Amino acid sequence: MQLLAVALLALLLSGCGSWGWGRRSAGPVGWGSADRQDPALSGNGRVLASVVRRDGRDTVLLQEQPSGTVLPLRHLQRQQPHRSPSLSWNGRYLALLVQEGPDRRVVIEDRATGRLHRLPLPGGLVPNSLSLAPDGRRLAIASEGEGRSRVQLYDLTALLEPDLPAGLPVRGTPGAPP
Amino acid sequence: MQGAAVAVTAVLPVLLAGCLGPLPQPLVGLNQRLEAAGPARGPSLAGDWLALIVSQGGRDRVQLVDLQRQQPVPLPGLERPDAQPLSVAVDGRGERLALVRQLEGRTELVLYRRNLMALQPVPLQPPGVPRRVALRADGRELAVEVSRQGQWQVDLIAVP
Repeated sequence: MQLLAVALLALLLSGCGSWGWGRRSAGPVGWGSADRQDPALSGNGRVLASVVRRDGRDTVLLQEQPSGTVLPLRHLQRQQPHRSPSLSWNGRYLALLVQEGPDRRVVIEDRATGRLHRLPLPGGLVPNSLSLAPDGRRLAIASEGEGRSRVQLYDLTALLEPDLPAGLPVRGTPGAPP
Repeated sequence: MQGAAVAVTAVLPVLLAGCLGPLPQPLVGLNQRLEAAGPARGPSLAGDWLALIVSQGGRDRVQLVDLQRQQPVPLPGLERPDAQPLSVAVDGRGERLALVRQLEGRTELVLYRRNLMALQPVPLQPPGVPRRVALRADGRELAVEVSRQGQWQVDLIAVP
């Protein structure tokens, strides 16, 4: 009986077309080009990070949702191109790839303290993309090096406070004090 | 003189560690297992779950790893040998996976529900070509990068 119910539900889901999918655009970029790439949502969905072209350089843009209000970033006005943003649960931490001279680096901006964490990678590895766990405790980095692509995990517990669903809102996010 | 050199050598790492602060620690055991699975890319991390695209036997496939057990879990009904995964994202419970894949000459966005072992197409309106997808940790919404008429846009789609 239970199997039949699961099979029926699966059948309904596969056949229901666009029914039930609420959709909206992430809204206008507001800077030069309207191209927007590399989206990432905070765990609670209140912050959207994406990469937009600003003054000819790929730059991370942080916006609260659904208003689209641009949120300030202290350290990320330079070091473009920015790639692969990833957010923690309340949007306190923004991890991404930046360019420092010839090197692509992994950094995490803590929006609560304004601190920028630089994460060194073993020599010879070039990071391509990353994913920050919503609680901020782990980071997955995809990189190229020594002739192959690989994904490696890092423990961040000694570096970052957890950003949990019950955590305090970060200044500049919806519900935070002014 | 030699004693001074030894003292500097001993103190230098401590000083450097103090300047650099705590460093991220590689999860050695997990990383060795991932390395053994084959070349990998496109990680998505949420809760105790890691979704990624692994090359095995000359083709790319989606893998979901339970980080507590340090083991991949089966994804029945997700894989097709003729499909090429481009981007994958997982929610915090490891129940929902959003996937962009190429199949039969087209690129599509699908949602996989592990408890149902069911794959559901996510239609794009207006139509476009998806590339990268992200999923909210609570699995209620996805964000997808879509090409429409030569322009990259981001759609936010609530998951029913």
